[in-house]
Amino acid sequence: MKVTFPHMGNTWIVIQALLENLSVDYVVPPLNSKETLTIGTQLSPESFCLPLKLNLGNFVQAAALGADTALITGGVGPCRFGYYGEMERQILQEAGYPFDVITLEPPDGSLIGLAERIRKLAGEKNTWNRIVKAMLFAYRKSLVLDQIEDLFHGFRPRIQSPTQVDRLYEETKRRLVQAMTDQGLKDVLNWLKDVMQQSLADYVDCMEENPLRIAVVGEIYTILEPFISMDVEKELGNLGAVVDRSIYLSGWVGEHVFRGLVQGYRPLRPYYTLAKPYLNHFVGGHARETIGATVKYAQEGYEGIVQLLPLGCMPEIVASAILPKIQEDYGIPIMTLTVDEHTGRAGIQTRLEAFVDLLERSRHNLTAINEGVLELAGR
Amino acid sequence: MRLGFPRALMYYEYYPFWAGFFYKLGIELVTSPSTNREIMEMGLKKAADETCLPVKILVGHLMALRDVEGIFLPRLVSMEENTYLCPKILGLPESVLYAIPEQEIYTLDVNWREGKREVLKSLLAFRTRIGRTKSQIREGFAEAQRWQKAYRRMRNAGWSFEESMECFETLAEPLKLKDLGFSRERSHRQKTADFEDGWLLDQGDITDSLEKKPRIALVGHSYLTYESYANMNLVQRLREKAQVLVVENVEATPIELQQSHLQKKIFWSHAKKIYGAGSYYVEDPEIDGLIYLSCFGCGTDSMTNDLLARRARQNQKPYLVLTLDEHTGEAGLVTRIEAFLDMLERRDDYESNLSSYGEHMDRHSSFT
Repeated sequence: MKVTFPHMGNTWIVIQALLENLSVDYVVPPLNSKETLTIGTQLSPESFCLPLKLNLGNFVQAAALGADTALITGGVGPCRFGYYGEMERQILQEAGYPFDVITLEPPDGSLIGLAERIRKLAGEKNTWNRIVKAMLFAYRKSLVLDQIEDLFHGFRPRIQSPTQVDRLYEETKRRLVQAMTDQGLKDVLNWLKDVMQQSLADYVDCMEENPLRIAVVGEIYTILEPFISMDVEKELGNLGAVVDRSIYLSGWVGEHVFRGLVQGYRPLRPYYTLAKPYLNHFVGGHARETIGATVKYAQEGYEGIVQLLPLGCMPEIVASAILPKIQEDYGIPIMTLTVDEHTGRAGIQTRLEAFVDLLERSRHNLTAINEGVLELAGR
Repeated sequence: MRLGFPRALMYYEYYPFWAGFFYKLGIELVTSPSTNREIMEMGLKKAADETCLPVKILVGHLMALRDVEGIFLPRLVSMEENTYLCPKILGLPESVLYAIPEQEIYTLDVNWREGKREVLKSLLAFRTRIGRTKSQIREGFAEAQRWQKAYRRMRNAGWSFEESMECFETLAEPLKLKDLGFSRERSHRQKTADFEDGWLLDQGDITDSLEKKPRIALVGHSYLTYESYANMNLVQRLREKAQVLVVENVEATPIELQQSHLQKKIFWSHAKKIYGAGSYYVEDPEIDGLIYLSCFGCGTDSMTNDLLARRARQNQKPYLVLTLDEHTGEAGLVTRIEAFLDMLERRDDYESNLSSYGEHMDRHSSFT
């Protein structure tokens, strides 16, 4: 049995730590690329949502490296993600990749079934004690990963050289992958903070005092996976905006894997309360989180919101129909970006640049905006 | 009190329930007119552009409901155990409010997932909105279930969708008829001749006379199958040339049994039903072919369609997918149906006896 798993941004670092600690034989599929997407698009139904296409690509590429078992989480919410496991099994089977798919969820609500699946994944050699320990360590690693990503959100717009930031980001990730103890995790964070402080000191003269603040909200896969969002966070950072994101990995893990027992880096709970006036019921996926987060960022004084969703994402379509109401109530500009396999980098870039331009202009012309668009145009 | 009810989406399956409920409470439930060009255009103009066709049509219907005190638009969460409805339906009242800002909306959550008691609780909480007492609500709920059951029985007994809905609407709206006609006696009712043959499958004589006609299963959401404006009278068109069976003709038990082909049960109420029925028809040797009626942007269809297509391939059953959207042209639809029917006919005559030289390819055209 050689296990593989789909990519979602930097999640692989965490899953790798988990499988490593359980001494499971595993393969990390090659990072998402054009080729991954091409393979996935060929195999999957045309109108299925984008994450499935990339997952299939990941599995096929991992199969070339010897993988025969796919690990994926599930769910029985109304979002299509909950049914990925069975869809992928059937599609791969028909395409000639007889994968064994382990869906980490309680089958028909039975916890014993879940335990059996974990047992199957971990093998007989691991004690339950060790399995729990490995899971908790992976969770702590995801917390550190989220902290690192958030540090870069603040760091990037203040440094004038994007390549320098990219290099530091890659180096940090490399160090994080190797850190397999709690002390190691702490060291990575401390090292990164030191380096960042030094670099910031170099740029202190030309630093923007009060950079734009833009929040990225939307469907979790799209906002966590830079390949498919065309590096939205990075682009916004390079344009000089401090970015925040509605969902971080550990927040999602805390809510969905640990059932809310732990809160994670950006807990999802507060979003549900904030979303209430606009959407009073869950609709699956992350629609409620998107709406709640938009309200939160609007209240915190963020200047713009970017909503990201894959084409045809059912929950986010519901959210995007409600967002204009929030835009009206709080007077915060919201831009919705839909991505699919045909999305071009230049298209997204242009729209982000235009969005940032608009936000910057509205800062200088606050009074003019309040008077109305016509007055602004007349100046 | 007059409440408006849009003739879209959930109307096609659950109208009798709400008709019965409000009938008992003495509230008039006014249904919007059948979809027409104006309604469709209003919907397309106002609805979020990324959403699916049925929701766009719903927005049109909501806007077409005038002269009512309010619009009744419940949030249907789940219709049976362990399932949900699709996210777009779950988000319903909120995600279409922008289209009808000046209308009063009456809404409540309907969740059969937790059983009958939860639904009743939700209805009881709703009573203050419509000013009724607890006991009245209880009676209304019982009546609603009776009407829904009656609808199922009518459909199983061979009544067409249009006939049965007409019956419920006359009851609910002008409050004319007093009793439900469960019996098959329909002499006092005028029936629409066009819709007869396909539905009266339980009557032997008609089946005999139609022996030559192929039997086709039309699977898809009820709000597409019976939305005769959007699907350009597909059901009627098919009936002219074939016997048509639909999802509603399959009982609950075989639908449940068909789930065993899957390692994980489908957790959407409608998708489960569509998959179960479609898969049942795939196995049925009496059925000559399947037509899947889907619409652009339907999330659950992208799955059930793929699962059913695979089942059909494995069982060598002819399978056609028709995808509707607001740009669907009539000629395109007709051409594809005709080609499909021709293929069925040809398959019947020459199956596995196809000459590689083109001989006997087609009885209509001759190869030289």
